Amino acid sequence: MTDIHLHIEGIHTFIGQFHILEGVSVTVPRGSITVLLGRNGAGKTTTLKSIMGITPPSEGSIIYNGKSLRGMKPHSIAQLGIGYVPEHRAIFKELSVRENLELAGRKRGDLDKQRDFIFTLFPDLQRLYDLGGGNLSGGQQQMLAIARALVPQNDLLLIDEPSEGLAPVIIQQLMAAIKKLAEFKTILLVEQNFRVASKLADHYVIIDEGHSVQAGAMADLLSDPAVVNRYLGVA
Amino acid sequence: MNTKSFSFNLSNPVVTISLLFGMVFAFGIYATSSPSSGINPSLFGITLVSGLFQGMLLFLVASGLSLIFGLMDILNFAQGAYFMIGAYMTWDIQNLDTGVPFFNNIGSAFPDPNIRFLVALIIAVVTGGVLGFILERILLRPLYSRPLFQLVLTFGVSLIMLEIIKAVWGTNSNAWTSTIWLNSGTFSIFGQQDTTYRLFVIAVGAVMMIAIALLLRRTKLGIIVRAGVEDAEMVSALGINVRAIFTLIFTLGCALAAFGGAVATPFLGVKFTMGSEFLLAAIAAIVLGGLGSYEGTAIASILVGFMWSFTQQFGVRPDINNGIWFSITPMLLLTMILLLRPSGIFGKER
Amino acid sequence: MMINPPKSRTQEILDVLWEHKVYIVIVGLLVMLPHLIGWLTESSPFATARGATVVLRGQSGVWQAIFIEVFALAIFVMSYNLMFGFTGVISFGHALFFGIGGYALGIVLQFGGIENIDVAFFAGLGAVFGLCIVFGLFIGLVSLRLRGVYFAIFTLAVAQIGWYFVENWALTGRDGGFSIKTVPSWIDSIQSRINLYYVALVCFVLVFLFIRRLVNSPTGAVLKAIRENEERAKAIGYNTLTYKLFSIVVASVMAGLAGVLHGLLNKQGISPQLFGVNYTVDALLMTIIGGVGTFTGPVLGATGLHLADVAFRDRIIEIGGVSIQLSDSWALITGLIFVLVVLVFPYGIVGTYYRVKLWIKKKTTSQAPPAPPPHG
Repeated sequence: MTDIHLHIEGIHTFIGQFHILEGVSVTVPRGSITVLLGRNGAGKTTTLKSIMGITPPSEGSIIYNGKSLRGMKPHSIAQLGIGYVPEHRAIFKELSVRENLELAGRKRGDLDKQRDFIFTLFPDLQRLYDLGGGNLSGGQQQMLAIARALVPQNDLLLIDEPSEGLAPVIIQQLMAAIKKLAEFKTILLVEQNFRVASKLADHYVIIDEGHSVQAGAMADLLSDPAVVNRYLGVA
Repeated sequence: MNTKSFSFNLSNPVVTISLLFGMVFAFGIYATSSPSSGINPSLFGITLVSGLFQGMLLFLVASGLSLIFGLMDILNFAQGAYFMIGAYMTWDIQNLDTGVPFFNNIGSAFPDPNIRFLVALIIAVVTGGVLGFILERILLRPLYSRPLFQLVLTFGVSLIMLEIIKAVWGTNSNAWTSTIWLNSGTFSIFGQQDTTYRLFVIAVGAVMMIAIALLLRRTKLGIIVRAGVEDAEMVSALGINVRAIFTLIFTLGCALAAFGGAVATPFLGVKFTMGSEFLLAAIAAIVLGGLGSYEGTAIASILVGFMWSFTQQFGVRPDINNGIWFSITPMLLLTMILLLRPSGIFGKER
Repeated sequence: MMINPPKSRTQEILDVLWEHKVYIVIVGLLVMLPHLIGWLTESSPFATARGATVVLRGQSGVWQAIFIEVFALAIFVMSYNLMFGFTGVISFGHALFFGIGGYALGIVLQFGGIENIDVAFFAGLGAVFGLCIVFGLFIGLVSLRLRGVYFAIFTLAVAQIGWYFVENWALTGRDGGFSIKTVPSWIDSIQSRINLYYVALVCFVLVFLFIRRLVNSPTGAVLKAIRENEERAKAIGYNTLTYKLFSIVVASVMAGLAGVLHGLLNKQGISPQLFGVNYTVDALLMTIIGGVGTFTGPVLGATGLHLADVAFRDRIIEIGGVSIQLSDSWALITGLIFVLVVLVFPYGIVGTYYRVKLWIKKKTTSQAPPAPPPHG
């Protein structure tokens, strides 16, 4: 019986008057890398934002470690141990790498404890420690964004389109890092690039036009190219 | 959006700042000279000091405005009113014979005028902070989703506060009569005498500038604020209660304005228009410095202070003799900045 | 009403009139007002000669003055609503044009040195409209460069400069202001108040009809699109600058007209206050209280404000043994209402009325009805 880390059932989310999510259900087993697949605009990012409370759902349930996240403010949700790495990185360009990481710490000494691990995972960050965020390359910014989610005690990471706009070599490095992280954390990933997703994730959920349509083990999906073609549009 | 730059590179802030200071000083020399006796270095000197003094006072009001705008995207029109409250309260506590008896009574508990002044300062700052806290919690929080109405609201609140001040204190102007250690001495500069109080304010202003800069650069709170200026939503997603920080910064900003008023009043007395004068000049300063930039606000406040002082002097030149120049300076500056370079010295080009 | 046989021209006209029966009744009442009050209070709506001077006594004259002010304010607020409510341009310096209305007319009449007073009057009007158009264009062009907060601050600065300018101008009496002593007798506020009344009424009705026509026209649709999302309107292909300029200049001229009417009524009081932020705030306040983007809202707001002002200003009320002179606290009360409305009724009186109507409709019909048409 797998231990369910995060369970989302039938959520509906409106942004303004637009009905973005019309019934999305996602189950994330503990310790897995689960990926949300789907075309542009299907609602994958909105799903992550709904979990974080940034665009709260109007209906449905979100249960994390047995606790409902509905109605909680984003900062409270984060404090439960969820690290959010949004698309386009969202690092603070006016702050240095050090300050970006310091900001993420919730308890005194968080950064000190994790610093060595972060430098092992992302050696570049040690070299660039005092450089301003705006001076980093896209790949370095992505590493910083993920590193930021590692500073406090986060068990679940929500990572949105990490490979976007990055060169293949960098993507390889990122994938290796994420795979290493999955050894002790649960990861819910949004990834448009199916090649990357299929190599990283062990579970998948397909979101199409605001609905979750299919879920299961990645191995099963890879042997069903018809489904892949239908919902993701590329072979 | 099309923005026209001058032919030489104005996107370098150092160039811009040097140019601005150069122009201001040139104007200052012109303003303090006269057709009959030419350039007057001692008058220039003392007007410069006076300008630095006004600039520091302005900074106390503008820094709060800048922090609040940078972090919360709210232009807090009520800053002028907080400035006035700080001034009026300090005046009442220190000068025991007129004003509101409640404050006079507080003041008479401290016979030593210097201690009384210190107490007055503390009370003014605390009151400013408390009122700012109340304003933010009750009035502004519900409106974060509607920025247009926020703008309108702070405008409305500033008018209400002005009316309350008018109701409590009336519209008369009063001068400061108490002698304290700080304003009892004189110093000479370029052969002219001036009260040491100016030096006190300049020193206080400089200390605040450095203190706030340290706060922003060296403390975790400062990091949070600087990050929040960029992307408050992300800060929240990192587990930080941004709303609480908003309240804190707003409270701090209002307390700073009240402090400014308290510090200003021994020299300026109290005048019903002081709040709006300083508010408009502060708006000019933060726009000139670049909305959201703390360093910009600091430098711009000094610049505007200089301009204020020089145009005042210009207005009393025998061949000019027109009071309009004092009041119109901040507005003219503001108009010109907005037309030429709305992003200010340190702002990003839009 | 029969659908099949084509309606005759007369029938069509009658239908339109019936649709707007409420308006027609109100306008009719306003037309009759001076005479009604005169009849009820046995005072003459007209001025009478007493020896060398002409005086206007009695309630009829008093109420005429009240309503002339209401019409002027209503025009001012409607112009602000055109800019802010319909086009989404927020200005903190609308009083600039109000002040130009009073000052330009006053200066030409009083200091212009034109012999023929009627010519002077129309020259003054010309000056007002000319200046309003020029400054309106200026501000409108700046709106190309500045958005939102920046633009609002800019308009505030310009209006303040206007204030400081006249406050320091010896010709116009500096901060004391001046009086217009020579006004054409056919529109003088003492000699022929009732003429001024009807002129103001006509202006009011014309402005109301004009704005309504404009907003319901294709141009109006573009203005509303700009209010919703200017970038999108531009992407569709509209030259938003032209439309914004049009809206701002029209609003400026109307505000100038309001200033003229106010100045004619209060010819002793041409002072820098006309450029004051109070008028701008009143306009903003009325627009919000009445209902942003509605027609009747601002008008109701302006009427309500001025009537309340007149009714309560000199009253003294007792609360818990403390007597408060209301005139002292008038601005405070206005401010409090302001804050209350922004927090609780952001759609204003008329706006909330529409939303309630819509909500009721939604509850009683199975399908959602379309949004209410923007007239009422």
